[in-house]
Order: sequence, then structure tokens, then C-alpha cells
Amino acid sequence: MKCLNQYQTNKTGRKKNKTVRIKKAVSERIFDSCNTIFMILFCFTILVPFWDMIVKSFSRPIDISYTKLNLIPPVWTLEAYRYCFRDDAFVGAFGISILRTVFGTAIHLLCTCMAAYTLTRTELPLRKTITVYLLIPMFFSGGMIPTYINMRNLHLLNNFLVYILPGAFSIYNAIILRNYFFSIDRTIEEAASIDGASSIRIFFTIILPLSKPVLATVMLWQMVGHWNSWFDNMIYCFNNDNLLTLQYYLRKLQEELTRTPDTPYGLQTMESAANMSPDTVKAATTVLVILPIILVYPFLQKYFVKGIMIGAVKG
Amino acid sequence: MTKKTVQKTGRHTRASVRFRKYFPFYLLLLPAVTAVFVFNYLPMYGVVIAFKDFKMARGIWGSDWVGMKHFRKIFSDPVFYSVLYNTIKISVLTLVTSFPVTILFALLVNEITRMRFKKVVQTITYLPHFLSWVVVGAFAYQLLSPSYGLLNTVLIGLGIIDKPVYFMVQQNMFVPIYLLTNLWKSTGYSIVIYLAAIAGIDQGLYEAATIDGAGRFQRVLYITLPSLAPTISTLLILNISSLVSVGFDPIFNLYNSATYPVADVISTYVYRMGLGQAKYDITTAIGLFQNVVGLILVLTSNWLARKANPDYSII
Repeated sequence: MKCLNQYQTNKTGRKKNKTVRIKKAVSERIFDSCNTIFMILFCFTILVPFWDMIVKSFSRPIDISYTKLNLIPPVWTLEAYRYCFRDDAFVGAFGISILRTVFGTAIHLLCTCMAAYTLTRTELPLRKTITVYLLIPMFFSGGMIPTYINMRNLHLLNNFLVYILPGAFSIYNAIILRNYFFSIDRTIEEAASIDGASSIRIFFTIILPLSKPVLATVMLWQMVGHWNSWFDNMIYCFNNDNLLTLQYYLRKLQEELTRTPDTPYGLQTMESAANMSPDTVKAATTVLVILPIILVYPFLQKYFVKGIMIGAVKG
Repeated sequence: MTKKTVQKTGRHTRASVRFRKYFPFYLLLLPAVTAVFVFNYLPMYGVVIAFKDFKMARGIWGSDWVGMKHFRKIFSDPVFYSVLYNTIKISVLTLVTSFPVTILFALLVNEITRMRFKKVVQTITYLPHFLSWVVVGAFAYQLLSPSYGLLNTVLIGLGIIDKPVYFMVQQNMFVPIYLLTNLWKSTGYSIVIYLAAIAGIDQGLYEAATIDGAGRFQRVLYITLPSLAPTISTLLILNISSLVSVGFDPIFNLYNSATYPVADVISTYVYRMGLGQAKYDITTAIGLFQNVVGLILVLTSNWLARKANPDYSII
């Protein structure tokens, strides 16, 4: 009966799926259910820390304790957020993070795109040599200490430029961009060059506008990288409050909490948690650090996935 | 004799014409080439201080050569062996947990039949990838806090423990916390590359297998997994090459002075000794050791992969 049914419906395309679903074995249906349950649990695990952080950032310090499980704050308060914005260091760090994200990304895009475009010119003399020259650092690097000494010799310590210049070029992004540029029809360029456009003009007025999807990918990549970086702040601009970035601000807040002088390993006593503890402030700061990422997340997801596909197709 | 000269000048003028033609392209490459030279090649030169008695005031060139002295000192230092042991232990454990889990998760996500649900799962599980380790560290410290951590609340609520535990300062808890945090952050997004590879599999194979009577599990086992072999091997090579280098960020944001003995890896050790105690030359030597071993590992694993199947190598 089932077989007959399948034969009949197979002729009409729309009903085909339905038949397949009926045919599914019991074991497969059990598997599907288990899979769904597993996925829900996994997503739940991912979301719990976020939820907990948000709840604590809107709570009063006296309401956060291991004795109470609060799914929403018992008393809503914006005190922690107010505390954040009253702190000049926080506001300054926010500004520096935005500045480095904007300028760092712009310079990276310009520098990397120009190089990537040049590398599409197969007839360019020395192209192979230059490519190898650019690739070698992928396999061998000086390491943390020589890099630090180098920055010191270049007078880049405690200098805003240390956030921007070292990341001006990335061979990985250059390869992705180059592969995309390769896919653009060369005849468009030839037509433009017959009309008298110079190579540089062709690059800026034809190639770049045609490459918007891949540019968006690399741009978002870079923006997230800049927003999230803190290591350069820690080692190159260690004690410079004017150059503090948001991530390192959060990191320092964390250190203050885990290294209180009276308790060597930051074992906080219950009394200190009951006082005006900065724990809710830390939660609020964390939420504010994540917020920009969450805001661009819809774009990120779209383009990051695309970007990694371009990289993978390269093979 | 004269003929030779003519030829030479002829070639010379041709070269200069060619150079003039391509000059704009070299101009486009200039920023990238300069950035790579200044920020990648100059530190490589700085590696020579591993063989010198480095004095900041005398500079890299002015310091005296000491040959292998630093290496002799490193290899007779028990602390170095403990750090090396931690590094290898943590990276091997990371590899054996995250690698299979990622593949399994990719296959399970691929088996989700409802597209909407699949999209939601991907959106949620990719999210942690976009957070910095500072933020993830803040999450870990918050969830595991002895005074207000959610895990303590839950465990006490269930009656498993009767008083709060400060997980972050327990030496035997560090590695499990590290591995779980790492899984939490990276499992979701790591599947992107596998999903891309799965999307590239010829659908005809599945249809043929279905007609031959292969069930869903058999199709995964005999089509999907073998088709993923090149991707898996590439990622394995990349992972093996980093066996002696555990990333600085995750360790640094999860450890504290209480867990140094079990958590200190080469990169964090180099940071604290090199920059904290200004032992530049000896830590450069440690970094060099790590780099050279890493390079040997990547070349060896790549060679082995190529022997097995030319498609599986990365270089």
C-alpha cells in the first residue's frame, strides 16, 4: 500500500517530500528527536552565561549571591551601568576602542587591498619573489620578546600607532581578496584602460566597487579583531591610561577582583560581596563590551561564513 | 665583446621600460612590503639575542655573543620542563577533545532536517567565537565564583556540595575548566569549514547510495566522512603544528597565581619572565625553541600527509 502510494505521488513533484517523510524508519525518527534535544541543550549552554551576566548587571549588589537563583533580577537597577559611565577611564577606553577599530580597519583594508590587487597581475616582474616574501612570516615569527624590543626601538611603546600599524597588512586576507579580484572579468579593466584610465584609477573606481561582498567580509573580520584585541594594549601601552582599550579595561577590572590584598588568591569573603561590590559593575562592563558585537552580529554571521567559504574554495 | 655590451644595454632598457610600466603596481605594494619588513622581518632579526647577553642600552647588535649559554640554562631548568609538559599536555588534550567533538557536531548539525531550526542553532552556537578571551574569562570567573557563581548555586541546590567552591583556584580543576571553556567558545564556529566541505559533496552520491539501499547512518559513514577526509587532514596538520604552542589568550585569561603550576604554558611563561622580569635573552631562546619545533612539526606532518595522499597536504 505504502509502495503504491509512493509510486503515485512520485509523479507529482510537490507531494514527493511527504512520502519520504512517511517512509522514515522509527530509528531515524528517534535519532531526529535526540538530535533536536541535544541541539536545544547545547544552545542553552551557550546562552546561560550571557543570561546570567545580563541578570547580574541589572541586579543590586546585595541580590547577587550563591544562595539565590535569580532568573530575572528581583529588583531592577541601572546603578551598575551608571557607575560605568561615571568612570572617566571607562568612557576614555570606549573612545580608544572605537578609534582603533575605525582607523585600524580603514588602514588595513587600504593596504591589504592594494597589495592583493597587485598580486593579481601575473605578468608583474618579481611577483613570485614578493609573494614568497609576504608568505614567510606565516611560518616563522620572531616571537613575543623580539617583537616587543622591535616596537621599543621603533618608539611605538605608549603610542596609539602601535594599535594600527602592525596590523596594516595580513597575507591571509590578501589571498582571499586576491582570489576574489581574480574572479572579476579582466575585459572590464582592459576596456577602461583603452579609455585611458590608469591602473590606480581602475583599482579605485572599478575593482573596489565590484568587490563589495568580500570587502565587507574582511572589514567585519578586522573590526571584530580590533574591538577584541587587548594583548597589544597590555604589553605595549602597559601603564598608559590615555591609551587604555575597553578589553584591557575589563581585564584590569577582573584582576582587581581576583587579587584583593588581604586574600592572596582573591578568595572573596561573604562580607565583601555584601558591601558595594564592583561585581555588578563588572557584569555591566562585560555586557557593554559585548554589546557592539551583538549589534553587528547579524552582518557578521552572514559575511563571516561567506568569507570562510571563499578561503576554503581556495584550496 | 661589443655584441655583449649591446645586448646588456638592450636588456637594461627593456627592464627599465618594464619597470616604468609596472611602477604604479610597485607603489601599491609598497605599504604592505614595508609593514611586513618592519613588523615581521625586523623581529626575526631580533631572534639573535637568544645567542647574546642582551643589554637594552647596548642594543641588539652591540650586545655580546654568548653562544648556546641560554639554551644550556633552559634545558637544565626544571621549571622549563614543567612548563613544556603543561604546554604539551594542554594542547594534546585540546586536540583530542575539540577535534572529534567539532566533527561530530558538524555531522549532527548537518542532519538537522528543519532549516529554520538549523539556522537558529548556527546563529546561537557561532556567537561565542566573536567574543574576546577577556570576555570569556569574565564569564568563567562569574559562573564559577564562590560568592555568587551560578554553578555553586545549582550544585548546592541539588545537594551535591554543601558549601561554595572556588573552582578557579583549584589546581585539579584548571585543565577541565580550560577544555570546557574552549569547547564552549570554539565548537560552534569551527563547524563552518566542515559544513562548507559537506555542501560541496556531489548530491548524486547520496542519491545513488539511497537507491542501493543505504540508510542515513551508512550515508554519513560511507559518503560524508570520506568526503571530509582532505579537510580533516588539513586541519589536523595545522593543529599538530601547534602542539608546542598553546595560545596565550585563553590561558592568560583563565589562570591565576594559584593555578600557575598546572596552567603555565610556554607563551605565558615567556610573557611573565620576559616582560615581567626583563629576562629578554633567555625568553627569546625559549620562544625560538618553540618556533623551531613548531616549524619542524608542520613540515613533518605535511610531508606525512603528502605521502599518504598528495591532496591532503597544505604546502
